[in-house]
Amino acid sequence: MIPSAHAVIATRVLQREAALLDERRWDEWIALFAADCEYWVPTWRTEAELTTDPQRELSHIYYASRAGLEDRLVRIRSGRSPATTPLRRTAHCVSNIELTGAGETHLEVRSTFANHVFDPHHRTQIVLFGWSEHRLEYGSAGWLIARRKIVLQNDQLPAMIDIYCL
Amino acid sequence: MIEGVNARMIRGMDTRYLEQLVDDRPADGVFRVHADVYASSELFELEQKHVFERTWIFLGLESQLPRPNDYLVTWIGRLPVLVTHAADGVRRAFLNVCRHKGTLLCRLESGNSRFHVCPYHGWAYDATGRAVDIKDQASGGYAEAFSGDDHNLVPLGAFAAYKGLLFGSVSADVPPLEDFLGDLKFFLDLAMEQGPQGMEFVPGRIGFTYNGNWKAQLDNSSDAYHLTSTHVSFMEVQRRRADLVSGHQEARQFDWKKRFEQEGGAYTFRNGHNAIWLNQSESSKRPIFSQIAEVRDRVGELKAEWMLRLRNLTVFPSMQIADSTSLLIRTFRPVAVDRTEMRYYCLAPIGEAADVRAWRLRQFEDFFNVSGFATPDDTTMYEDMAVGLKASQIGFVQGYSRGIAVQVSGADALARAAGVAPVSSAHGMFDLQAETWGHALYREWARLMRTGAAGDPAWAHAVGGPR
Repeated sequence: MIPSAHAVIATRVLQREAALLDERRWDEWIALFAADCEYWVPTWRTEAELTTDPQRELSHIYYASRAGLEDRLVRIRSGRSPATTPLRRTAHCVSNIELTGAGETHLEVRSTFANHVFDPHHRTQIVLFGWSEHRLEYGSAGWLIARRKIVLQNDQLPAMIDIYCL
Repeated sequence: MIEGVNARMIRGMDTRYLEQLVDDRPADGVFRVHADVYASSELFELEQKHVFERTWIFLGLESQLPRPNDYLVTWIGRLPVLVTHAADGVRRAFLNVCRHKGTLLCRLESGNSRFHVCPYHGWAYDATGRAVDIKDQASGGYAEAFSGDDHNLVPLGAFAAYKGLLFGSVSADVPPLEDFLGDLKFFLDLAMEQGPQGMEFVPGRIGFTYNGNWKAQLDNSSDAYHLTSTHVSFMEVQRRRADLVSGHQEARQFDWKKRFEQEGGAYTFRNGHNAIWLNQSESSKRPIFSQIAEVRDRVGELKAEWMLRLRNLTVFPSMQIADSTSLLIRTFRPVAVDRTEMRYYCLAPIGEAADVRAWRLRQFEDFFNVSGFATPDDTTMYEDMAVGLKASQIGFVQGYSRGIAVQVSGADALARAAGVAPVSSAHGMFDLQAETWGHALYREWARLMRTGAAGDPAWAHAVGGPR
């Protein structure tokens, strides 16, 4: 049986990740990720099949380290990206948090998301929904996200999406 | 409103209105397009009939249907299209519509099936389009006349392939595909001949919808002028990656500063097509560079050199190939005057080495994805154009003027050396950022709209001759 303390840790990290994105606390958000984290949003290859190999198939986003996420913050903060200005407002709803594996220093977590995104410029709103698979690892900095895979269920996208929509 | 045009002429789509929407006066150095062209829902309805249903439209790649009974589903404007590969080895294209009640026949994007059975009343067709089963026909009490009807799938008016690219036309009144493509074929070859075993779409695709007119995308692929304003945040990211050796290094994008010191240009071709190019100072940042010796041996020095240049081309009206970072095929489908569905595919050599494929993907995702760094800034501008262009009062937009004074009729030296005969050539340093590519697009748009409204055939003019 998985100790309940693990479930508490998983819930705390995932909810914090969501809240930091909604509140645009970017430095604290990126500090949740390990330097060598993998961040992967696969595309669908057909109506029913996801791509499975980011080295051979197209992804929406694939980063093999946190450096890719750092680029995103440069863009958000530049104030010079029309797609990013004014910034969309978000509400990340994370639920169905389920421990799918645990070891001494790692946790595997599956969760469901429904992220509401409002564009104050075009006055439109969308919901991006799907599920995430997190691998959390414990080290000197505490529990960090070592891997996040995001399965986006509604993949006919609007004219832009960015990490704060996911 | 344009002077002398009244409301009745617009409603009736009088050719006198259509003729004034594109103000094309080469002798005066003027080329202007009216705001209505992007914003009028009446014109949008006519475009479906006069443009999309009367010319060649890109449907997909041969390599998407490699095996017998493979099929794919796509669109020509608002019409659903089915492309099949029958056991006789022949690929064919049909309206994807059951003859019984007009229901959409094939409901999946792609697959492999000997038969296509309509889920509504069970009529079945084989991959040659033949109706092989009218369910319960014998007991159906059909009159004699019914068996005289043609129950087979309705084939497209024309269907052909060039270098693995499949094109179809609803109307049979189109020139042979190779005549339609004309000398743009040189630029298509530069994309389709990169792999020794041909080219394929990398699995996975990007689909998105923007709230704007399809011609915003039609233009933007050729538009070098917007880079230094729309994409400054990406350039900032790039600068940081280069200077600090930080950020997403796996993309190995080239140094954009060096881009601005390069020569480039724009070509227009007959039948609405165009191509732009820019020299590339860092050839090693092109995924194909690692294979360039093989490429050179196979296609020759001249084509290999051209493959290393940055090139974007448009096959009018709705297919583009961009080889500006990695290689993209983009199609767009107008859904409404202010709504456009996009589909992006990553094009790559079949059998490409695993490390090159991975790098290609990282470049593609970084630049082209709607979750990437370049495309969302473009599409946001398309949506803002849709807002602005409702103001018909601005009259003509002024976005096709750069380069008019320096363009030459016919080929420049570079085109001549390649044996390519464009309609016009404009050539300069990057900061010329010529907009003359738009002349090809809107001359063809105006021609198809005018002949369509007049009830004249679209392709009566000699394809090889002067317009």
